[in-house]
Amino acid sequence: MGDEKDFITIGEAAQILGVSIDTLRRWDKSGRLNPAKISEAGYRLYYKPQVELFLNDLFGLAKDWVLKETELPPQFYCSNSAVFQTRLTKMQDILMVIPQLNNIFPLVVAVAGEIGNNSFDHNLGNWPDIAGIFFAYDVNKRNIVLADRGVGILATLKRIKPELNNDEKALQVAFTEILSGRSPENRGNGLKFVRKIVSENPIGLLFQSGNAELTLVKDDNDLDIKYSSEPFRGCLALITF
Amino acid sequence: MKIELKKFGTTLISRQNGREAFAAFQPPLMVLGENESLELDFEGVITFSPSWGDEFLSPLLKKYDSRLILINTDNPSVKATLELLEKINQKPFIR
Repeated sequence: MGDEKDFITIGEAAQILGVSIDTLRRWDKSGRLNPAKISEAGYRLYYKPQVELFLNDLFGLAKDWVLKETELPPQFYCSNSAVFQTRLTKMQDILMVIPQLNNIFPLVVAVAGEIGNNSFDHNLGNWPDIAGIFFAYDVNKRNIVLADRGVGILATLKRIKPELNNDEKALQVAFTEILSGRSPENRGNGLKFVRKIVSENPIGLLFQSGNAELTLVKDDNDLDIKYSSEPFRGCLALITF
Repeated sequence: MKIELKKFGTTLISRQNGREAFAAFQPPLMVLGENESLELDFEGVITFSPSWGDEFLSPLLKKYDSRLILINTDNPSVKATLELLEKINQKPFIR
C-alpha cells in the first residue's frame, strides 16, 4: 500500500465522504468501509485512494442505499425535484461541451430527467421512508446513476392497472404500453420515452424495481427483463453513454 | 402569435415546471384571435422531455388543433418528445 501521506485520519476521510465521524465508525463496525490500519496510538487510519474509490462506486453507493438505507454522501442526494432540476442542469452544462457527445447529450439529459422526475411524480406525498432521490454521474466513465426508496413501479402502476401482480409485468407495462387519458393521475409514459431513446441511440440502461431487472441497449427490440436476487422497494437505474 | 419557448427556460423537463409554464402562459393567450395561429418556437431549447411537454403542449394541441404550429424542432430531445406526445394524444403536431 502507498506512502504514509496516503493515510488519512477518520476526520479527513469523513470530510472527503461528506458524512460524520460517527457514521464512519458505524461503517467500520458493519464492514461497509474499514480503515486500512490502526495507528500506534489506536486511531483509525484510512487509505485515501480507497476512500476515493468508495466514493467513485456510484452504482454501489446507490444500491446500498435502496437495499439497506445506508447513509448517503450529501452531494448525491436530491431531497426534492427543484434540487434535482438544478443538478441535472449542471450535468447538462458539463456534457454539452464534450465534442463526442454533441449529438446525444440532450437525449442523455432527457432520459435522466424522465427517470428522476418519475421518482418524484409517483411518490409525492407517498414516500414510505426517505423522500427524494440519489443522483450522481461520472463524466469520465460515462455513466449516470439514479435511485429512489419510493413505492416502486408495481405499486405505482397498480393504481391504474389493478390486475398487475408482479414486478416483471409492471416493468414490461411501464416501458412498453402507452397509457393515454389516464385517471386519476395524468402522468406516466416517461419510461416509454426512455426506451425509445435508448433503443435508437448509443445509450445503455439497467433499471431495477422490486425483484425485476431490465437491461436495454441500442437496437434492442425485445425487453430483457429478468428476476433479480436482490429485491428492494423503489427504483434503481444505471445509464451508460 | 409567436412564442419563444426558451423564455420558459432552456432545460424543460419536469411536469411541475411544465404546469407552471402553462399557467403563466394563459394571460397572453387571451388575446389570441379566433382564427389566429399559435406559433411555438423551440430555438434555443437545449433539453426537452415528455413530462414538461405533456403538461404544456398536450392541452394546447387539444384546444388549438391545427392552429398550433411548432417551429425549429430539430433538437433530438424535442423531436423524440414530439413523436411520443403524438402517440399519447393520437394527433400529429403541425411542424
